[in-house]
Amino acid sequence: MIVSGVPRSKRAAIWWGRLMVMTRKELIQLFRDVPIVVFLIYSFTLSVYISGNGLKSQLHNANISVYDADHSFSSRDLIHKFQPPFFSFAGELSSSNEGLYRLDRGTVSAVLDIPPRFHEQLAAGEPTAVQLLVDTTNSPQGLSAASYAARIVAQFGQEASLARFGGSAEASQNLPVIVSDHRVWYNPDQNETWFESISHLLRMITIFAMLLPATALVREKERGTIEQLLVSPLTPLLIMLPKVLAMTVVILCAMAVALFGVMQPIFGVPIRGNLVLLFSLTALFVFTTAGMGLFAATITKNQSQVGLLTLLLIAPMLMLSGVTSPMEAMPPWVQYLMTLSPLRYFIDVVYGILLKGNGLKELWGHVLAMGLLGGSLFGFGMWRFRRQFQ
Amino acid sequence: MNFRRIKAVAFKEWRETVRDRIFLLLAFLLPVLWMLVFGYGLVLDVEHIPLVVVDRDHSALSRDYLYRFTESRYFDFKGSLTSETEADAWLLSGKARAVIVVPEKFGERLLAGQPAHVQTLIDGTFPLRTDITKGYVLAINSALSGELLADYVARTRGLSREQAKTLVQPIRLEVRYLYNEEVRSAWSIVPALIMFSLMLAPPLLTALGIVREKETGSIYNIYSSTVSKIEFLTGKLTPYVAISFVNALLLWLLATLWFQVPFKGSFGLFLLSSLIFVLTSTGIGLLVSLMVSTQVAALIITMVLCTLPTILFSGLIVPVSSLSPGAQIQAHLFPGMYYTNIVRGTFLKGVGMNVLWADMLALALYAALLRLVAYRLFTKRPRS
Repeated sequence: MIVSGVPRSKRAAIWWGRLMVMTRKELIQLFRDVPIVVFLIYSFTLSVYISGNGLKSQLHNANISVYDADHSFSSRDLIHKFQPPFFSFAGELSSSNEGLYRLDRGTVSAVLDIPPRFHEQLAAGEPTAVQLLVDTTNSPQGLSAASYAARIVAQFGQEASLARFGGSAEASQNLPVIVSDHRVWYNPDQNETWFESISHLLRMITIFAMLLPATALVREKERGTIEQLLVSPLTPLLIMLPKVLAMTVVILCAMAVALFGVMQPIFGVPIRGNLVLLFSLTALFVFTTAGMGLFAATITKNQSQVGLLTLLLIAPMLMLSGVTSPMEAMPPWVQYLMTLSPLRYFIDVVYGILLKGNGLKELWGHVLAMGLLGGSLFGFGMWRFRRQFQ
Repeated sequence: MNFRRIKAVAFKEWRETVRDRIFLLLAFLLPVLWMLVFGYGLVLDVEHIPLVVVDRDHSALSRDYLYRFTESRYFDFKGSLTSETEADAWLLSGKARAVIVVPEKFGERLLAGQPAHVQTLIDGTFPLRTDITKGYVLAINSALSGELLADYVARTRGLSREQAKTLVQPIRLEVRYLYNEEVRSAWSIVPALIMFSLMLAPPLLTALGIVREKETGSIYNIYSSTVSKIEFLTGKLTPYVAISFVNALLLWLLATLWFQVPFKGSFGLFLLSSLIFVLTSTGIGLLVSLMVSTQVAALIITMVLCTLPTILFSGLIVPVSSLSPGAQIQAHLFPGMYYTNIVRGTFLKGVGMNVLWADMLALALYAALLRLVAYRLFTKRPRS
């Protein structure tokens, strides 16, 4: 396999030539499979649009029904405070049992119960209470609904008190209260299309970067074409590297399409950092993730096995790397486990570069981690591969 | 339809699956491992938000105020800074997600009966977390405001503290949490994870099983045999439906025994709907397998087709009612949502057929439709 008696510069040229030929072979093989190409295009265009457009992870339109036993001016006034975008009013109930019935069916997610004499008590300055029933089958949404409701009721109560004393808005300026000023950075309008479309892009890149090289390698093993490659003047590196290179090229192009074809023009996702840095780090991420795929490929025998094994690995990567649920709240052992997920670092890289304008100064630690992870996975894959075939 | 031929095909498929030990092991291990990792790891509560503070006041009141943040389980206190520029760097590097800036004369103003502004800087990268963080800050602020106000009113009007409190906050909100009384994230997540596992693994098993025969060419044995279309499809799917149904049982055991999620509904209803759901999700795999000719394509397409809607549109994390109208239509077109209603309904709500019949009907229709389309698409005489 070593080309002896040839000068060093020429050897490099031959090596390079072989690399290119093999990369081309992988690309041809990939593009011959029409369904894959169709899905590749779909995943990075239409599906980015759909997920960016459709999702609201904040509390939106929680359907609320009201059982108003008071039917007074005050109770109606309070009901009016439950407004979109957080709540959407789903009608009045004739009894409090009907509220439970609707909650059981899931047609409403909260029921507000206003007691009789609500207005009377409020006007007389007596303490009163309203009850809120919240569906917590989805716990964070239930908690959000309760906390919004608490805010609405508290404010309504304060205003009612002030009004009773003839206090105007000016009067309240001379009270000892803490006024909260919020400044939200990097995404001041809390535009969810930015967040959702970026996170979708990350998911798609991960799936393709892991699956394509893994299956490409196992397929050669399964069909026996790997024997042909092994008797050719190719080193294991020259068999594995082109698979990764080809997928990197494809994924970078797909990402460019998603970014410049959908996310920037349609959603107005900002690109505050350096694009060259973004694309080079994406290449690094694809390399690292592909290393994980190749590793899976070297310990399995056929495509069915590698399919299940990659699915086993990919789902926790997608769900626990910090986009779907916050890293900080996970138990420590899951956090440690996730240090092995390249996506965990890449998430900060992409959001950092696009939204915060981060550069290498902030991201070098993540880059190092991805590089180390990719290097060792790739190295381990190569070692397994050598041991299997030589 | 000849029952013996169906049995023969199913038996052949079963033998092939069992012979591949790693495949078989993975098929059973996958849902169980996911359940364990996600059951613990997929925490939706926003807690331990890394926080830094800038205290310009250094009064007793400002310390008391900031103490409420550092003591809260929602925030993880990371340090006290001297300037806002320093805080910017912490936000930029992601080391902190929120900054509280207490202005000068904070304590002085409040004690003198005047409002004080507190500025909160929040990282907006993850909108949901931003929103919840804001809510926590507001809650802490208004709690202290209420106390200060009550003190002030008591002092200036000569009322007792209790009277002043009623005056400031005349309405109490009593919240009753239903179905998940202790509002545990795991209780919401674990039942939905049964949906997650049964939505992702069975289609892949099925699609790979069928395309494998196409790719190796062994499907020509079927083409040239007397086995009819419907016999082949039924027999071929049986082992995968069986594996997935056993997995549904395993997941149920794990949820009730290991994670101790209450199961309030009817077990029979759960079994029946799980069977229907498994028939649906294997049907998706079947449909994909008929459209592609390589296992690579089968893998990619089932994963892309299933993961996205399962994570986003199935009510696992975001309830369907919170989606935009377009996305709600998509959610209804995808089977995951119906089964999420059924598992959460049977586990947490304890509701029965009278509530869940529509979801079950939708799933059954879905399963039937998928099989009908597959039957039309599958041909024993392929053109190429």
